[in-house]
Amino acid sequence: MADSSLYQQYLQDLKSTVEGLLVAQVANVWSIYGGLNRLYFCLEKIFKHGCKNPSSDGYFFNFIQGLEWLQPDTSKAYFSLDCEYRSHVPAHLKNDKSNIWLYRSLESHSLFVKLSWLLIDDTHLHSCYETWAFLCQKQYADATLICLRAVEKNQATYLSEIDPRLFLKNVNSKHLIKHHKRSSSFPDNHFKYMSRQQKRSDLKDIPDNSPIKGNVMGKLKPWSSLPALQLDCSRKPVKKVHFQSRTTPNTPMNTRKISPSMFKIDYKSSPTPKSSLKKPNIINNTHIIEYTPPLSSEEYSSPGTSVEKPRRFLSNPLTAIDRLLPRQGEKDYSRYQPKSFIEDAGMSILPMSTGQDYFPKPLKGQSLSSYLASTQLSHSKAELDKENAHFSVSEAIIAAMEKLKCRYKDLGYLNNLLTSESDSDDQGEGLVSELKQRIRLRRGQRIIENRLLFGDNRTDTTTTVSPNSTPADSISYCTSSEEVDDLEIDEANNLKENQGLSISMASLYSDADILKKPRGVPDGSSEVATTALDILSAEGVALSLISKFNEEHLPKASDLEWLISEEEVPQALLPLPKSWPVSSDDHEGGSSTPLRGTRDWAPPRPQIVLTLLPSPSRKELMEKQKFKCAGCGMTVAAQYAKKFRYCNYLGKYFCTGCHRNQVALIPARILYKWDFHRYPVSTFSFKLLEQMYSDPLFQIFELNKDIRKFSRNLEFVRKYRQGLCYLKEYIITCRFAETVQERLERDLPSYFLTKPDEYSIDDLVNIKNGDLKTKLKFLVDICLRHTSECKLCLARGHICEICNVNEVIFPWQMRAVTRCKSCSACFHLKCWNTTCPRCERKIKRKENSNVIN
Amino acid sequence: MASNKKVLLKVIILGDSSVGKTSLMNQYVNRKFSNQYKATIGADFLTKEVTIDDRTVTMQIWDTAGQERFQSLGVAFYRGADCCVLVFDVTAPNTFKSLDSWRDEFLIQAAPREPDNFPFVLLGNKVDLEPRAISAKRAQQWCQSKNDIPYFETSAKEGLNVEQAFLAIAKNALAQQNQTVDLYNEFPDQIKLTNTQRPSNGSDSCAC
Repeated sequence: MADSSLYQQYLQDLKSTVEGLLVAQVANVWSIYGGLNRLYFCLEKIFKHGCKNPSSDGYFFNFIQGLEWLQPDTSKAYFSLDCEYRSHVPAHLKNDKSNIWLYRSLESHSLFVKLSWLLIDDTHLHSCYETWAFLCQKQYADATLICLRAVEKNQATYLSEIDPRLFLKNVNSKHLIKHHKRSSSFPDNHFKYMSRQQKRSDLKDIPDNSPIKGNVMGKLKPWSSLPALQLDCSRKPVKKVHFQSRTTPNTPMNTRKISPSMFKIDYKSSPTPKSSLKKPNIINNTHIIEYTPPLSSEEYSSPGTSVEKPRRFLSNPLTAIDRLLPRQGEKDYSRYQPKSFIEDAGMSILPMSTGQDYFPKPLKGQSLSSYLASTQLSHSKAELDKENAHFSVSEAIIAAMEKLKCRYKDLGYLNNLLTSESDSDDQGEGLVSELKQRIRLRRGQRIIENRLLFGDNRTDTTTTVSPNSTPADSISYCTSSEEVDDLEIDEANNLKENQGLSISMASLYSDADILKKPRGVPDGSSEVATTALDILSAEGVALSLISKFNEEHLPKASDLEWLISEEEVPQALLPLPKSWPVSSDDHEGGSSTPLRGTRDWAPPRPQIVLTLLPSPSRKELMEKQKFKCAGCGMTVAAQYAKKFRYCNYLGKYFCTGCHRNQVALIPARILYKWDFHRYPVSTFSFKLLEQMYSDPLFQIFELNKDIRKFSRNLEFVRKYRQGLCYLKEYIITCRFAETVQERLERDLPSYFLTKPDEYSIDDLVNIKNGDLKTKLKFLVDICLRHTSECKLCLARGHICEICNVNEVIFPWQMRAVTRCKSCSACFHLKCWNTTCPRCERKIKRKENSNVIN
Repeated sequence: MASNKKVLLKVIILGDSSVGKTSLMNQYVNRKFSNQYKATIGADFLTKEVTIDDRTVTMQIWDTAGQERFQSLGVAFYRGADCCVLVFDVTAPNTFKSLDSWRDEFLIQAAPREPDNFPFVLLGNKVDLEPRAISAKRAQQWCQSKNDIPYFETSAKEGLNVEQAFLAIAKNALAQQNQTVDLYNEFPDQIKLTNTQRPSNGSDSCAC
């Protein structure tokens, strides 16, 4: 009967069924087992509720029959078709046409439309249904439609449009505003406390601004929809609660990386209220930001440049090629523009990443420890560089020490000068104190030594670390080098043999050093920090060494005098011979050309290899390479030679460090075989090929006369490129052709218009996949269209002098028109007879004028 | 002369590079002069309405490139020209010497009906500069040898004689206009079905 609870129940059933269907988010909602039937049953209840005069054809057949005239699109025929029984319809519906209709409409997702039409006509509706019927209740009928729509669109979000009041006991409540939406992330207890506070507080307490005594539970996430929560100072109970929140997702809006202290909200800092006028802000939402730890330690890298050069960003990242290439992260190209092959002849591709200015210069006035700790030093990834670093860093330390010694020697000398006048007692005392110091030192050393011996026995030969030594106090800065030396020589020998550690090094390590985080790395980044400034790296060792020294005493990094300064021997590879290509293999006969590398090996050179390599014979090649890796020169034993990998670009074998099975397009194979497969290449070749990918290096028709046989596109592209070159002269100089100019500039690389014979690998790929043809055709079309219509371009056309016909001809009409190479005049092909009349005239004139002069 | 058609006069300005062709045109059409040199690319035109004998005509003045390197663009616009203006620089004798070749080239490429009667006008520009290399007399002599074409001494910078020169050009062009075959007339003749006023080719009297 007319019971809102029944309506609610029906609606709730429907809604929950729909929700259940949509929650799985499958493509076809009926694929959920039993879904259709359940939904059908819900709807059947609804349709049957309050139905007048159930007819023989079907319970609510009268009602749905209205479709015949209500819905203009369907004809009678369709309607009756819909009521026909089909095999998939559940058998028990067989006799009820209306049920069949309902089932089939529901299944075909047409029920929403049909029901909408049916509900439009009130008279019909009321003639078929009692006034208390479900479908006669407008809000519930609307809600039903919403549910149907949600199912048909397969979108659960539609369900949010259902008026929640329909589910309420007391629908007529005035307290709630229509558009309330529940937000799941809203902390419930907040309001509990709020209301409690209301009852207790009076105006005086409020400025306290600590409403809940700090008991706000749960993380408050910032929403733009939820304004600052305010305390309503009035005594009246809360009537209006303003929250126009949308259902916001769970992610916080701002994830600024801030320290946890920020999270402690200072309630007192909110503006003091003039209580009657202004409501105090309890919590200003904009201040509340969820704390998230820093995402990665990369955030902390210094603004200095990274040593490893970034990979060249491919010009057309969406081509299919990239899906095959190993994905590279985008580097910051604003700071570090990678050069193309043409620009630097491949010099930036360096094998083994040696030779780059690994060793940066210290900044002026930079202290030694900050220089060593600077991330510039530690950013190199190459093992070789890390090892080389020990040389440079130890040089730095030695220089620093020496400087120190010098300084104090001078000071000591001065002191002696000053005190030399004193009596001999002092001298004796001086000696005594010296001895005392010596003893102290020795004692300190002994302790260390013992601890070392009993410490961790690590047998690796790299620098080991003693876990227990505490020499911090015992070894302050040395007064004279001799003493230290003595100690070293006396006590250290066995240590050296046992642990491979020089005593001075070992002694200077302490627990504190090991556990201490390396300098320069801020708190919070735990994982990567150690790799950045490893205890075992050169910098780490050096830092530990000088950590004993008072910062002030140490000389500045910029003041150090390097034994061999960077200027004297710049860290660069020796230059390549520029005269003609020399194969590094041809060393027989003692070739006199001085090349890089040794007699047996030279690092790979950035070359454009255009020869088709024969099938590799591992044995032969390895012998020729003298069993050395072509990339790093590492020699391999014959039995392991099979592990080496072939580079299909350079035609040599590389070790697994230099060849990571990256695949790339090989230019020679494309040019001579039209083979666009990717073949494994070494990392050096890979980088090189990547660098030259977009460079117009290949005059393909020159290199391979028969290349046009491979693809019709080639001939097409060749012609069109030539045509475009002619067209551009007109387009670029025409003041009415701005849009065309822009198009040309935007869509084509610059060399397209100036050098029609040159192609890059990128171009060849685009020829193969047809993109270039399409693009050129389009551009030529728009140019042609312009020139044939533009008065200025037509006026600047040519007229064939020979036949003098009043017909404008253009150089790009290559089938009918020819052009003189010297004076660029155009003639009909038919008219042309070897010589250009204009040039002849010019020659004559010159002769005449010469004669005159 | 109840002629309703719009009269378009096509005038070509020829001459060596940097004699002042563009400046002359600019001075005449826009009343502006700039010292800055900017080489004309290919060719371009400006239009100006003038009144001649109580008749308003539109002059389409084509400014050409004097430099050789722009010759990859054609000179189809020569066809249908009504008058040709030759310009030289009075302080540069070479520009005077090349006048002949300019004239000859034009006649060959424009292919007018009557090359001997084709209206030329000679302008000696930059008379404001010193020292002068080509005297007025010499120029006059040249003009006389070429079927007595009018000669004007002008200064685009100071606007000296520019107006008069172009007026004369317009007059000459108008006289010639009846005999031209114009390919790119911007304002095509109205087609009159009765008593056509169409500029006949001389001999034809048929209206179709």
